[in-house]
Amino acid sequence: MKISLNWLKEFVEIPVDPHRLKADLIGVGLNVESFGAAGDDLIFEIEVTTNRPDCLSHYGTAREVATLYRQRLKPLEYTLRESSAPASSEASIEILDPELCARYCGRVIQGVEVKPSPEWLKQRLEAVGQRSINNVADVTNYVLMELGHPLHAFDHARLTGHKIIVRRARVGERLRTLDGVDRTLGAADLVIADAVRPVALAGVMGGEDSQISGSTRTVLLESAWFEPVFIRRTSKSQGLHTEASHRFERGADIEMAPKALDRAADLIVQLAGGEILRGALDVYPAPQQRNPIMLRRSEVQRVLGAEVSWEEIERFLRALGFEVERRGTDGWRVTPPSFRLDVSIEVDLIEEVARHYGYNRLPSRVKPAPARVTGSSVREVELKISETLVGIGYREIIPSPMIDPDENARFTDRPPVVLANPLSQEASTMRSSAIPSMVRALKWNLDRYRNDLKLSEMGRTYTNRAEGLPEEKQVLTLGLSGRRQGASVHGTEEGIDFFDLKGDVEALLEAFDLPGLAFEPAECLYHEPGLGGRFVAGQTPIALLGKLKESLARDYKLRQEVWLAEVDLDFLLKASLRHPSFKPISKFPPVERDFSLVVPETTPYSSLEAAVRGLGLEETQSIMPVDRRRSEELASGTIPGGHASLLLRVTFQSPTHTLASEEIEAASQRVLEALEPLGVRLRA
Amino acid sequence: MTLNSSMTIDVKVRNTLVDLGVLNASDVRALFQEALHTAENELMEFSRPGPSDVSQAAKVLRDRWLARKGGIVSLIDRNWLKPAPEELKPAVGAEFNALRQLVGAMLSTESLLMSFENAANEAMADLPGRTPRPTAPPDLTLPGRRRPLGSVHPVTQVMREIEDIFLGLGFSIESGPEIESVYYNFEALNIPESHPARDDWDTLYVDSQTLLRTHTSPVQIRAMEKHGAPLHIICPGKCYRHDNPDSTHATMFHQVEGLAVDTDISFADLKGTLDFFARKFFGEKIHTNFFPSFFPFTEPSGDLAISCVFCDGKGCRVCKDSGWVEVMGCGMVHPEVLRHGGIDPAQYSGWAFGLGVERFAMMKYDINDIQLFHQGDVRFLEQF
Repeated sequence: MKISLNWLKEFVEIPVDPHRLKADLIGVGLNVESFGAAGDDLIFEIEVTTNRPDCLSHYGTAREVATLYRQRLKPLEYTLRESSAPASSEASIEILDPELCARYCGRVIQGVEVKPSPEWLKQRLEAVGQRSINNVADVTNYVLMELGHPLHAFDHARLTGHKIIVRRARVGERLRTLDGVDRTLGAADLVIADAVRPVALAGVMGGEDSQISGSTRTVLLESAWFEPVFIRRTSKSQGLHTEASHRFERGADIEMAPKALDRAADLIVQLAGGEILRGALDVYPAPQQRNPIMLRRSEVQRVLGAEVSWEEIERFLRALGFEVERRGTDGWRVTPPSFRLDVSIEVDLIEEVARHYGYNRLPSRVKPAPARVTGSSVREVELKISETLVGIGYREIIPSPMIDPDENARFTDRPPVVLANPLSQEASTMRSSAIPSMVRALKWNLDRYRNDLKLSEMGRTYTNRAEGLPEEKQVLTLGLSGRRQGASVHGTEEGIDFFDLKGDVEALLEAFDLPGLAFEPAECLYHEPGLGGRFVAGQTPIALLGKLKESLARDYKLRQEVWLAEVDLDFLLKASLRHPSFKPISKFPPVERDFSLVVPETTPYSSLEAAVRGLGLEETQSIMPVDRRRSEELASGTIPGGHASLLLRVTFQSPTHTLASEEIEAASQRVLEALEPLGVRLRA
Repeated sequence: MTLNSSMTIDVKVRNTLVDLGVLNASDVRALFQEALHTAENELMEFSRPGPSDVSQAAKVLRDRWLARKGGIVSLIDRNWLKPAPEELKPAVGAEFNALRQLVGAMLSTESLLMSFENAANEAMADLPGRTPRPTAPPDLTLPGRRRPLGSVHPVTQVMREIEDIFLGLGFSIESGPEIESVYYNFEALNIPESHPARDDWDTLYVDSQTLLRTHTSPVQIRAMEKHGAPLHIICPGKCYRHDNPDSTHATMFHQVEGLAVDTDISFADLKGTLDFFARKFFGEKIHTNFFPSFFPFTEPSGDLAISCVFCDGKGCRVCKDSGWVEVMGCGMVHPEVLRHGGIDPAQYSGWAFGLGVERFAMMKYDINDIQLFHQGDVRFLEQF
């Protein structure tokens, strides 16, 4: 809302400079975004919140100013010179739907001369952002900006039967509105009609046919009150938002209707000549009354934490137009004015008191919440994961989960959540896999010549369900590409492979107590066959990891190999972190024993390790494969085809004594025996 | 010979000759032969095509045999030669010297290099010891060997900082669904479809009853329903708006919502707590300013502005010359909202706030484009 300082001064004295005025208006909730000069005037740009339609006018803003500075607000009194001929003989008004139109006032002005407005009027309208049309139309806009009440002027000659009927539109009725759009109406629209057809979309916009034109001689001026919810619906369904609908949908002042009407009639006669026929036509079937609200001083104290004096409370409310009567020892009976439909309960009044008392004058205290013993284990787990990821080199990303549904479908068969009104096709679905977001992020960087990438995301996936809200699952995604070790004076470059990814996932899972944790090769929709697998905890898969399928990598035009993992974060957040339990450190030396083995290619390493661990040898400290060659890599005949050589290093250590060579020998023998059923033997 | 044949050389070199049952010169000779053969075998193994990293493999092999500490040769010196019975010492000494020479020559860089004619020339260049042992110390001004750390996203960092402040005040963390019902996102928060305030939230819908939450406020209702009063919570999370993306608008962003409900809560608690929070976050020098605003779910409603951190309140581009920057909305919880959460507004009152995390991060780190947060560009991420 643009407010002219000069215009404001017609209603109230302003005893401060504009900077101070700006700060004070902000202090009472009228958010002045800026002000600037326009000729000899200053224009304030005020952002008016949706609850304050009364401040969408100069008069309403002046009321706040008057309250702020204890000034008198100029009352609105208009004395009209009316002709002897009664208006009622020239027009009649009928409201068929008093629920939707609670009041309709009209005046008839005869003998006007429609012409351009005088300069002062044009300038003023321009200053507040309105375009000048002609003197009669401009007056309606002027009064709108001044008093906040929307008006409409009809060419009386164009109203068949000189009738105004406020009714629902009939299905299929048509109206060309002032913006030149032909609109087909329905029972959900309220119209102003003459004896035969609609002439205006009530509360929103007038019709083109009955608008004021150069040939208009008699004007029928409308000042009405329409039901906010209904106007909002009409305005939405017709896709038409106007200065009028903006105010009606927020709640116009029903008692302002006749005053604005008189103000406009008076101005029209001044600017366009003619005479006002006697009597306002005012159909107001059920005069509205505001319900009084009880305001307790103790409640003011409870909500604001401040003791505001009786006098101050009364002064604020009265100046803002409320009727205030003391009741009992603790309060008042307060009746809100007709222009404050936003105030209906006690706490609304308390806000009025707080606004003018000044938020900054209210007391302030810091009181911590009562102490509670609650383990925020979820956050603890998140921090643990985050810490590990930073330590092993992952940069966290936070992509938007809105993606293209076709892209989503390439990574998962879970149904995503489709948006009804997306901004674009590329962001029309809430993903049911987080992998596409990660691939996008890797690509974004690869396309910008950043080649060595370790990215992570802790986010959600969204899966549609037949009933209820979609399923939201938390997932940790890892994306890897490039080199483990870049070119450096200290060593050679090393490319990333599957085991970098696997090691990182192992490092993550190590923090948790996960019974039955095991890795197994597994197929996955988007993994390169043979280069993917998963970790399971018992029967539950908790992490999928592998190399992005080459066909997908090609489609994304990725310059290099990409490795991906997705970890079930919900599972980890519920799992317990491994609780450290101290084991005494052995004082006795460890002994490493290397087994040079020949292993069938079909026997996975994991089964060897399981077999050795299965022995349950107390002194087995660690088992580590230190070298593995396939038969093709060795001189022919060294080991049989279809086999691999494996150097397995087992470390033995006892917590109680130095292991004797016999003990080591015995343990070694048992290791070999355990491996034998797997087709594993010592190299000759 | 009493030697256990399945015992590897690795084990044997850790035992003394006596322990091994080596009692005469011929056993000594056999034992040293075994050691030599092992070295030869390992060299052959090494020289076959296979190891992807030749220099590394060569180093492993050299260290295994020749390392001054724990190398096989030094273990032989320590365990076989030094404690050898007097009568065997000359034989052991002679054998040891021969072995040391042979193995040293065999595993010299030149020898290893020869074993590797084609494949490994380049890689061998890095082999330690290939160039004559430098007489000068290494150039210590070379950059250190870095193992790059990762980084926490600035939005997460800011969110955690906010969480920490409120956790310190005894608040706990709540979360809720991002895909919400219209009821929780709007109606329970006193924003009926019919009210123009609804237009303040440009909404992405799934269907007429389901939407992407436009703020974290629905978690307020869910938490009240779940825990009742008293309640002190914050709710961090993602929110969505039907906004065309530009440098200050993102369709997805993060909010932190706060809510305190108790029997003795007034606007003074709101002011005090948020003032404490703002100064803790933005620095103790800043000033806070509360002014009235409108949100359907709070009454009275307010906005909190802080003195501009860029110009110390003098007026600049960021604060549009006002010296103040709005940082969050807040207010006393509307009685209707308490009722929707199943809490009696006559007995309890509450205050609440909501803030945009990206906006906080933009202020904290002087970032001028909100899109940067969500692109995943490491040139951005590595700065935090």
